[in-house]
Amino acid sequence: MAQQTSVLSKRVGKIDPDSLTAYVDSGGFLALRKALTLDPDEIIHEISTAHLIGRGGAAFPAGFKWAAVRRETTSPKYVVCNADESEPGTFKDRYLMEGDPFHIVEALAIAAYAVGANCGFIYVRGEYPLAYQRLAHAVAESRRAGYLGLNLWNTAFCFDIQIYRGAGAYVCGEETALFESIEGRRGQPRLKPPFPTTNGLFGKPTLINNVETLANVPDIVLNGGQWYRTLGPSHNPGPKLYAVSGHVRRPGVYEATMDLTLRELIYDLAGGIPGGRTLQAVLVGGAAGAFLRPDQLDVALGFDTLRDVGTSLGSGAVMVLDDSVDLWKVLRRLTRFFQHESCGKCFPCQLGTQRQAEIVSRMAAGDIRPDDEETLADIGLTMRDASLCGLGQTASSALLSALTQFPLLQQGGGR
Amino acid sequence: MTETTATFSYDFPALETVITRYEAKGRAGLLPCLQEIQAQTGWLTPEICRLVGQRLDVPLADIYGVIDFYTLLYREPVGKTVIRVCDDIACYLNGSEEVLATFQKWLGIGPGETTPDGKYTLEVHPCLGYCDLAPMALIGEDVQGRLTPDKVADLLEVK
Repeated sequence: MAQQTSVLSKRVGKIDPDSLTAYVDSGGFLALRKALTLDPDEIIHEISTAHLIGRGGAAFPAGFKWAAVRRETTSPKYVVCNADESEPGTFKDRYLMEGDPFHIVEALAIAAYAVGANCGFIYVRGEYPLAYQRLAHAVAESRRAGYLGLNLWNTAFCFDIQIYRGAGAYVCGEETALFESIEGRRGQPRLKPPFPTTNGLFGKPTLINNVETLANVPDIVLNGGQWYRTLGPSHNPGPKLYAVSGHVRRPGVYEATMDLTLRELIYDLAGGIPGGRTLQAVLVGGAAGAFLRPDQLDVALGFDTLRDVGTSLGSGAVMVLDDSVDLWKVLRRLTRFFQHESCGKCFPCQLGTQRQAEIVSRMAAGDIRPDDEETLADIGLTMRDASLCGLGQTASSALLSALTQFPLLQQGGGR
Repeated sequence: MTETTATFSYDFPALETVITRYEAKGRAGLLPCLQEIQAQTGWLTPEICRLVGQRLDVPLADIYGVIDFYTLLYREPVGKTVIRVCDDIACYLNGSEEVLATFQKWLGIGPGETTPDGKYTLEVHPCLGYCDLAPMALIGEDVQGRLTPDKVADLLEVK
């Protein structure tokens, strides 16, 4: 069985998240202190050696981003923590922000030192009031105690953090939409390239990482990239947080290495399916992910292993559906979600998510027509290839996977 | 705009304090400025929008554009407490339909509506990020999880 780890969650639920003293007593700020004695390039080298992959959903190598921002000579540069977690079924960043907020402050400071930024932003989801309060408190306390501000530990490094609250838009988790939102505009994604590493927040070079990605940084700085590679499979190293919900006995966040199988996660960690029911389907990766069947439970929950079976790890959301569930009702929710959250900037997504939701709604009511499957596949292909951002590019993946995995076309909902 | 007659009186010094704090940031201060004002007034009246626009140097049309883009900002009156019921997959799997129906029954209103006494607005939301507590709702800024019809009645103090 895969190793359950306690790297990211080591303080969660064990110390008072509002206490700076408790944080420092449990080893807090040691990594930042060590980082400031290192050359920024050495830190980036360790992050690259660790092969730290972004945990927000897009699975981009963090070291690559860090090095790119480091290389930029424009000033100022910014570091941004993307805490606008809103993928359906995902709540692992909230778990970290509510349980260990100082750790995120420390990680962002290390990132800033490494890439040469003095100004950091945390953009927290609007529907996460407690996470916002805890982070705001952690920033204020760190500032008061001299862990943020001018000339930290008498070095030349100066750094401070501003916190923004989101206002209810899924698309703002897309990095350039998030920048637009901080800049006081509608949260609509920008055309890429140019990428944030050269033209990010306020048009300046910007490093943007997800909460969980950053949470890995202090331990990599303290123990080295080679140590990190020893955690789990070497091509998918490091701890991962999985958010399990739906029909399981113990829904919640579980930390393990990425050789953990779906079966171990559902049955060993989350306690299996309650009420004497059997498993019907698992939605992995949130609304932007894909469905797996009960005979696919032995897949390891890593970036590449899930890609091989046609889904993606995404943000690490795992939603479990027992045999009582009407899949059509789930699909109607999924497609309605994308229709509602599409920002409307690019046509493939704006129109595609609407048509998709209309068709699924009709099919769910029992009216299934012969050309529906082809039309949905065509809409999905168009959105995937032609949408501006990840929202449209993934808006059909769960739906299309359900249609291929389950005999839904033969049986309309009719309910 | 419909029914924009404000039923509350502005606390101008309080508004002034908020606006002054964000004025120097210009447009980058817009979102937090609107959020803080709305926390006091409940919704963003045309007068507020004009004032913020002038001081932060943002065109009024853009302010309306921003407010309408974000679900948590309001350009119309809402109840004193906004109830946001999550109806996404994890909550649906754990009974959100019954929870929503219970809220509707006790409040006597449908989604998107406000009670006649102005106390509550009821909204249905996609995933709010508390799937481990499904089914759940945000009552104002208060997270209420593992809801049952009984628990909803207790929350609304109708029993």
